Amino acid sequence: MSSIVAEGYNAFETKKAPTGVVKYLETPNDVLALIQSGRLKEHILLVRGGTTTFLAPVLSVGATGILTMSGAPESHLGILSREFQTPCVMTIGLTDSDSRYQPGSTDDAHFEAIVQRLEGKRVRLDCHDDDVGRVYLEENGA
Amino acid sequence: MSTTNKTATYKLRYEPDDDGLRFQDLTYEGNFVGLEPVPDGILGDKMMRRRAKSGVLEKVSKDEVLREQFTLDELNDLNNYLAWNIWDVLVMRATEGVSGMIPRQEYEILAFMHEFYRWPEILRMTTSEAGPQGVMDIGATARREIGTKVNCVHDWCIGAVGFGMGRCGLLALEAIQPDDYLEESNEILKFMQRVLWGKRHDGYILNSQDRYRCRIHEQEVLDQLVGELEDFEPDEPKHDAFTRFNAAATLLAFLDHFDCRLGLGDTGPYPLPDGRVLIVRDLFTNEEEFHWSDVCDHEDVPHCYTVVLAIDAEAMGLAEIRVNDISTTFTRPKNYVSHITGGAVFIREKWNTPMGEVRPVALDDLGPELEKLQQATLKLYSKLARMPRRELITNGHWVYFVDMILPHLRLAGTYEKACRDYDLWEIDQRVSNYYYEITKRKFAHEVVPTRIFSGKGYLPFSEKADLRSSKYRWL
Repeated sequence: MSSIVAEGYNAFETKKAPTGVVKYLETPNDVLALIQSGRLKEHILLVRGGTTTFLAPVLSVGATGILTMSGAPESHLGILSREFQTPCVMTIGLTDSDSRYQPGSTDDAHFEAIVQRLEGKRVRLDCHDDDVGRVYLEENGA
Repeated sequence: MSTTNKTATYKLRYEPDDDGLRFQDLTYEGNFVGLEPVPDGILGDKMMRRRAKSGVLEKVSKDEVLREQFTLDELNDLNNYLAWNIWDVLVMRATEGVSGMIPRQEYEILAFMHEFYRWPEILRMTTSEAGPQGVMDIGATARREIGTKVNCVHDWCIGAVGFGMGRCGLLALEAIQPDDYLEESNEILKFMQRVLWGKRHDGYILNSQDRYRCRIHEQEVLDQLVGELEDFEPDEPKHDAFTRFNAAATLLAFLDHFDCRLGLGDTGPYPLPDGRVLIVRDLFTNEEEFHWSDVCDHEDVPHCYTVVLAIDAEAMGLAEIRVNDISTTFTRPKNYVSHITGGAVFIREKWNTPMGEVRPVALDDLGPELEKLQQATLKLYSKLARMPRRELITNGHWVYFVDMILPHLRLAGTYEKACRDYDLWEIDQRVSNYYYEITKRKFAHEVVPTRIFSGKGYLPFSEKADLRSSKYRWL
């Protein structure tokens, strides 16, 4: 059994349904450290922005799946995830919260709540829909 | 809505009465408060053109393009249309928030304003040197070349960014009034119109006017590209090798251009006789004018890889394909990558490598090229990660301020003169001072994006505006 914990824009339609433990990346050093750890493939990556450069090295090496807290398929990270065929759900919002991202007017509490809810949890991404990407909390992930 | 019905319907989009699909739920108002909201796509283009007071948004003649001065109605029509076009291509991209790496909103707004202030005299000088016809000829070179930055996004940026967003930012900062700088606005927009008209050669200037098509390459060029296509099935290793290379080159192109769209340029869609559609994609992986590109030099990364993609439209059930005015391809369904069934790769070593020396790379030989891209990406990332915030903003600003007009100045032979006599690589004192203003009152993160991407900040020139006006008072 698993339950939907978050939803967002689906960057592109794919039958891939990657699973992994959510890891929040906040700084470029976090990104470099993850690559050096050799454990990149174990994780679904959670980032705040929808830009490309921040995640460049992990896209290049090969990420399993990506969650963003802002951005859309037309954003640079949306474009690159499509080109790399890396499942990506963008501007996720928690299903048990009404807080939703609004460009320029979203305070830190919104992002912190998502990080707190998801980091370290085992999730599965469902990206088959044209528009909506879904994040499932795996049974042993809570 | 599901668009994965496996029957290609995209050709219907080219029927005159067809209004296209909607790619987003948002609508646009701009300067047309109280009128019916305007959607994205083909229908949006139709509505915006219907609201124009002049004929500047329809097919225009060469003589009209050569004319030195837009009328006031033409300037306002271009302002309104570009504002919608900017919204159309960027409103969703602009939701991407902070980078965590590069302060892009900060460098963007500084560059917008810098361009509006300083490009006019450089473009005027270039027009004087090359002549109006020469500027149109610069645009026309893109019909015969691949790996050229004279492309949709650069040409569009001249007017949409340098004029549109630059003026919008300065109006938001209350540094200028709506009727200031008409002469300079005309200079920028004329340059843009001439380059784009020369490139398209069909009377239009923007892809959105032509149902998002940018079919500019001459048949001889296309024949050479198609002659190098290697076919494969989506589940073959060759598909994986080709698409991984395409993705890796796209990534480095973004990174070398500080996370902006200037690194890539699509043209198409070109129909192939077998029913597939072709996208020709230039990926600029090493811009020699950027000092941080030294890591690309060290990995022997060329100026540009051109990637040619053949997409199986029928298998995909392609419902609409847009090559938008910032040179980017979007489709419905979104995932065209898994339906690529043919590819070719070409290398242009330097920006001025003759077309006869542009060479193809067999897909089986892409491994070493991919390795170069990955190494350069990692090294460039490490380099950027060490840059202080101020340096990242300055460098990002250079990417916009210089690179958006660099290809045109290069071909006009005026780039060195712009550097030497016009201090192209200097930052104007006004813009330097704005650096300290843009982080106050959420200017870079909220005020400007709201006005630029909603279309609310592109105030029209008034009926009293004088076409000769610059700005004479700083009060």
